[in-house]
Amino acid sequence: MSTASPDETGDAIHLDGIVKRFDGALALNHASLRVRRGTVHGLVGQNGAGKSTLIKLLAGLHQPDEGRIKIDGEAYDRLTPHRVEELGIHFIHQDRLLVPTFTVDEALFLGREPRIAGTPFLDRRLMQRRASEILDDYFGIKLPNSALISELSTAEKQIVQITRALLDQPKVLVFDEPTAALVRREADILFRLIRRLRDEGVTIIYISHYLNEIEELCDTVTVLRNGEDVATLPLGETSAAAIARLMVARDIADLYPKRDVTPGKDILTLERLSAHGKYQDVSLTLRRGEVLGLTGLLGSGAKDLIRTLFGLESASSGQITINGKPVRSVNPAQAVDRHLALVPEDRRGNGVALDLSVKENITLSSLKRFTRLGFLDFNSERREADDLIRRLEIKTSGCNALVRTLSGGNQQKVAIAKWLSRHSEIYLLDEPTVGVDIGSKVEIYNLIGDLAARGAGIIVLSSDLPELIGITDRILVLFRGSIISEFTSSQTSPDDVLAASTGSSEVLRHVG
Amino acid sequence: MTLQTSAIEPSVPRALIGVVVDNALVLALVTVFAIFSFATPTFLTIANLQSILVNNFTLLAIAAIAMTSAVSVGGIDLSVGTAIDFASFAFVSLVLAGQPVAIAALAGLGAGAAVGAFNAVLISGIGISPFLATLGTLFIGRSIQQLLTNGGNPVYLPPSGIPETFRFLGRGAIGGIPVPLIITAIIIVAATVILTRARFGRVALAIGIQPSVVRYSGIAARIHVAMAFILAGLIAAVAGLILSATVTVYIPSSGSAFLLNAIGATFIGTTLSRLGRPNIPGTVLGVLLLGIVANGLLLTGLNFYWQQVGTGLLIFAVLALSFITRRKASA
Repeated sequence: MSTASPDETGDAIHLDGIVKRFDGALALNHASLRVRRGTVHGLVGQNGAGKSTLIKLLAGLHQPDEGRIKIDGEAYDRLTPHRVEELGIHFIHQDRLLVPTFTVDEALFLGREPRIAGTPFLDRRLMQRRASEILDDYFGIKLPNSALISELSTAEKQIVQITRALLDQPKVLVFDEPTAALVRREADILFRLIRRLRDEGVTIIYISHYLNEIEELCDTVTVLRNGEDVATLPLGETSAAAIARLMVARDIADLYPKRDVTPGKDILTLERLSAHGKYQDVSLTLRRGEVLGLTGLLGSGAKDLIRTLFGLESASSGQITINGKPVRSVNPAQAVDRHLALVPEDRRGNGVALDLSVKENITLSSLKRFTRLGFLDFNSERREADDLIRRLEIKTSGCNALVRTLSGGNQQKVAIAKWLSRHSEIYLLDEPTVGVDIGSKVEIYNLIGDLAARGAGIIVLSSDLPELIGITDRILVLFRGSIISEFTSSQTSPDDVLAASTGSSEVLRHVG
Repeated sequence: MTLQTSAIEPSVPRALIGVVVDNALVLALVTVFAIFSFATPTFLTIANLQSILVNNFTLLAIAAIAMTSAVSVGGIDLSVGTAIDFASFAFVSLVLAGQPVAIAALAGLGAGAAVGAFNAVLISGIGISPFLATLGTLFIGRSIQQLLTNGGNPVYLPPSGIPETFRFLGRGAIGGIPVPLIITAIIIVAATVILTRARFGRVALAIGIQPSVVRYSGIAARIHVAMAFILAGLIAAVAGLILSATVTVYIPSSGSAFLLNAIGATFIGTTLSRLGRPNIPGTVLGVLLLGIVANGLLLTGLNFYWQQVGTGLLIFAVLALSFITRRKASA
C-alpha cells in the first residue's frame, strides 16, 4: 500500500482529492489537505465550507466517496475512530463531551484505566501521578483529582481533554475551535502549549474562525470554500485580510461597517453602582443611538455589570436610571418590561432554545403581543417571525425549522430577533460574535448599526478588541471592578485598550 | 458548523419515513387494533369497544392529561394519585354528610388543586426537584389518608343515601354516551387547546425544553411551573370525582393505581411525537394503546398476570419504533 516512506514525503496527514456527498449534496468536492510533520497547520472556511466534514473523515466518523486518506505516508481504506486513535491522532473539540459526573482522574483515563499489576483493580495512585505530571509540566496547574468534571470551568475541561490526549503521546492533535469559549488570557496559555507541542515534534491541525489566531499561531493555512481547498499558503506570505478574502471570495472592504449616528437623549444611567467583590462605583451614561463598548479581563466585573442591568444579579448600592426613571431592584422580567434586552454569551445555553422553532424563539419574549384573551394569534405570530427572518436575513428552511438546524451565526440572529420583536430599546450584547463565521459577523455588525440608527442604546461587551473598536463609539475599560479608562473608538488602537484592560497603561484616565 | 443541505431533494423513501415519523402513534394503534381483531373474535364488538372506552380509558386518560401538564414544564407528578384520592375523599365525605352534590364536587376539585398547590410551593417556591417534591407529597398524602380513615377503612355511601346527580356523574348517559366519557372528551379538548393555542401552553413547553432561555427572555418561569402543577392537581381531581361516583365508595390510596400507566401513556405520546414534545393527542393515543393491549390480552384468554408483560413490551416497542424512525429520518 505504501508508496513512499514517511521520510520522503514528510506529510503526517495527506487527504487527497476527497469527495463526500450527503444525500446527494456535495459537502466536499475534490478537497485536499496536506499537513507536514511537526507544523501547526491552520484550517479555515465559512460555515458549510466543509471543515467539519473533512475532520470527521480524518476521525473515521465518515468514509470518503472518492479520494485517499494517507497517514504517515500510508493509505487507509476504512478508518474507524478507534484505529485513528491508535495511530496517535487525537481531537480536541469544545462540544466533545466529558462525562460530567466523573472525577478528573476517571475522565482522563476512561477506557484505558491502568490496573494494579496482576489484579483487576484500578491503580489510582499511578493515575494520579501521571495526570499531575502532565498537568504540572504542560499547564503549570494542579486540578484536584477528585473534582467532578461538572465543577470545572470551560477552560479546565479543555485542559482535561488535552491532557487525556497527551497521556497517549499523540503524533497529531486536531483542535476544533478551541478558543471559542475561552477568554484571551486562557487562549494565550493554549497558544504557548501548542507551540511547545510543535517544538516537541507533534503535528497540529488548528481550526478556527479567528483569523488573527491563525495569523499568530500557524505555519501554514489551508482555506476551504464550498467544499474545495482554494489555497494552501505559508503564513509568512499572507495576512488575515487576504485569508478572509479567500474564504468569502469577495473583498470585505469594510469588515466593521460603522455608521455615524448622532446620539440622542440619555437612555440608561448608572451612578456609583457597586456590588460587593465584583465592581465598585461604576458610573456611566448610555445615549440613544450610541454603541458603547465594555471590556475587561475575566473578573474585571464587566460581565457582572451586564448581568446586574438585566436583573440576573443585584447591586449592593448605587442608582440605575432607565429612560429618566430611577429603578430599584429588578428581575429579568422587569428588565425586559423596561425595554432591556440581553443577548447572552452562552448562545446555545441561554440565548436560543435549540429545540424550539425559529418562530417560537423569535416570539418567546413578545408573546403577549400575539395573545388575545390568553390565546395565541398564530397568523400574526407567523407574520412577525417571517418578517424578522427576512429583515435579518436569517438562513433557515422556514420559520418552523428548529433552531438546532441553523448555523451559529443564524442562531445568533434569532437571539437578536427575539428582542427586535419585543421592541427593546437598550441592548446588552455579551460577546455577540463568538463562534460566528465571518460573513454572519458582518451582518451582525450591520444589524447593530441599524439598531443604533433607529434610536436604540447598545452596550457591547467583547474581548475581540479590533471588533470592539470597529463597531462602537466609545469604549469603557474595567479593571478589578472599576472603570479605569475611556476611549473614543475612532482614536484608539487595540494595543491601547489591551494595555488599559491589563492595568499596564501608563496614563489612567478616571471617568465618572 | 453545519452541512449545506439545501440541495437535498426529498426522495420517495424519505417522504415515506416522514409520514411514519409524523404518524407513528396512529400506526402503532392501528397495528395493535388489527392484531387483536384477528386474534380474538370478541375484540371487535361494539360492547367490547365501549367497555374499553369506559373501563380502560376515561379515568386513565384524565390522570395522564394531568401528568402531561406536569411533564410539559419539564417536571413529573408522582402525586397525581394523591390528588385523585383527596378529591374523592372530600367528595364522598361531604355527600355522606348530606351536603349538595355540587358543593361536594367543588370541594373535591379544591382538594385536588390544593395537592397541586402544595407541590407548586415545594417546586417553585423552595426549589425542590419535581420528582422528589411530588414523591414526598405521595408519601405524606398516603399517611394523611390513613389517619383520616382509621388506618385505611373505605368510606361507603349507603345505597339508599346516594343522590341522583351523584349516580348520574358516574353511571349516567346523555344521548347514549356515558357521562364520564363526555367529561373526558371535554378535558381532552380543553387541555389540547391550552397546550397548543394558549400562551401558557407555549411558555410551559418552552420551559420544559430549555428553562434558562425562558428566564433569559424575561418570563417568570416559576409562576408557569407552579400553574402547571396546580392544573395537574385540578385535572386529577376530576378523575377522583368520576372514580368515586362510579364505585360509590372512597378507598384510601386507590388513585396511585393510575400513576405508572399515566407516566407510561404520557411518555409514549411524547416519544412518538415528531418533535418529541409532550402533547395531549399523543398522551390520549398512549392511553388507548395501553387500554387496548390490556383489554385484548384479557380477551385472548391469557392469564391476567401476563397483562403487565404486555404493557412493558409495548413500551419497548414504542422506544424501538421511535429510535428506528428517528435514525432513518436524520440519516
